[in-house]
Amino acid sequence: MDATLFFQTLVNGLQLGVVFVLIALGLTLVFSIMHIINFAHGEFYMLGGYALFYFFAQFGVNYFVAIVISMLLVGLIAVLIERGVFRPLRDFPLRALVASLALVMLLQGAGLLGFGPEDRGVPAVVTGTLALGGTIFAKERLMVMGIAGLLVVLLYLFLHRMKLGWAMRAVAQEKEAAALQGISVNRTSAIAFGLGCALAAGAGALAAPMFYIHPFMGSMPVMKAFVVIILGGLGSIPGAVAGGLILGLVESFGTTFAGGVVSSMLSFLILILVLIIRPTGLFGHE
Amino acid sequence: MLLSLKDVKVHYGRVEALKGVSLEAEEGAIVGLLGANGAGKSTVLRAISGLKALTTGEIWFRGERIDGASPQSIVSKGIALVPEGRKLFPFMTVRENLRLGAYLRKDRSQINKDLKEIMEHFPILEERKGQQAGRLSGGEQQMLSIGRALMSKPTLLLMDEPSLGLSPLMVTEIANIIVDINKGGVSIVLVEQNARLALSLAHKGYVLETGNVVLEGDAQELIDNEHVKKAYLGG
Repeated sequence: MDATLFFQTLVNGLQLGVVFVLIALGLTLVFSIMHIINFAHGEFYMLGGYALFYFFAQFGVNYFVAIVISMLLVGLIAVLIERGVFRPLRDFPLRALVASLALVMLLQGAGLLGFGPEDRGVPAVVTGTLALGGTIFAKERLMVMGIAGLLVVLLYLFLHRMKLGWAMRAVAQEKEAAALQGISVNRTSAIAFGLGCALAAGAGALAAPMFYIHPFMGSMPVMKAFVVIILGGLGSIPGAVAGGLILGLVESFGTTFAGGVVSSMLSFLILILVLIIRPTGLFGHE
Repeated sequence: MLLSLKDVKVHYGRVEALKGVSLEAEEGAIVGLLGANGAGKSTVLRAISGLKALTTGEIWFRGERIDGASPQSIVSKGIALVPEGRKLFPFMTVRENLRLGAYLRKDRSQINKDLKEIMEHFPILEERKGQQAGRLSGGEQQMLSIGRALMSKPTLLLMDEPSLGLSPLMVTEIANIIVDINKGGVSIVLVEQNARLALSLAHKGYVLETGNVVLEGDAQELIDNEHVKKAYLGG
């Protein structure tokens, strides 16, 4: 394999990986605070993609502003869904899981009715390439990586430097003790759910200019995000980052050498192997 | 009266865990709650701290009715619970655990002073301040759990089985800490299976059996009571 192909495959993998990381971070955040496996997470990714399509491609809002708007909007919708659906089911994880499956169908149906069945395209935001040591990189991919990386850093700082972030980690680690310190578990759960879904929306918005947008676009990424968080360790932030990047690289190199179908099968083979050999994942505890 | 429970009933599903418990704690006192496993001791503390809703009855704290209030609002009124099994935040450092005890307080400079004071009081916590709480020994975890509760500056400290699972040496140390805290002006309700320990520290005691208060009195009275001797002090 020549160096150029190698580096290009590497960058493609990292760029795919950061999108996985964002989706998986939201999923793992929601899981660790609310103990809900939210199958509808991919639908928030879809909503983020559509929000970007409308605000950026239709209304002509600046791309970066449109990303922020789509995250805020989807985050808000998510907070309402937490309130109406998941809060009443707080003590019933199995019912919450089934409800999240129902939400998949509801949100996909709503997408179909509201946005239409056709594929939508979002025009490229930046064009052109950057040549580094003989390898050519699309600037757009580098930008996506930059923004996703920034979001990960911001999430980390939020969780470790802000009071609300401390509250989230406390609720994740010991819910009752968190309540005893004066932390509102209800409020923290709602914000965590909103934040997690906003991250999925951010991933959808970042992916929008690279892929087509349609009401079912969330199905595959959420499955990949499950692979990521199980590979990295359920509830682990560093695990989601490492797992996402690893999966992105596996898919990118797999696609280059064996084609898309084999590479996708490989991801889910990894999932099963991790579950059997090391169910706690790379960074998980217990 | 600092704290009073009036005819408190609590259910877990259909099971009645407290069948009409009334008890009082005076300002400045250590009150011991004795009883066997499942007698309802922990449930009393959970009810006071707002973790468990009452079926009927009333809880009053400093002249204010507090049953039905959320755990957050009860902490803010000055009641802190050291829960059974410590319930620390295992993947946070010792310092972060302590800092979270002051979650509702806004007086940042005073919080830092209190943090220092607690570290001075528990030198082992100072030594381990950067370590994850889950990696501490049982005794250290208990100290941290107590320290965390103190960071909220409580008027009333509820302690659920602080001696459980600790070595005899550590039990003595925790006993000294409890006396110290009380001397510092904090009233204490102490739940213990170790009746001897509880009665040696408490001014007043209550004996719970299957959700009822069956005996109450000064600690010395209870120590001399035949039933208490037989059932809780090993003859």
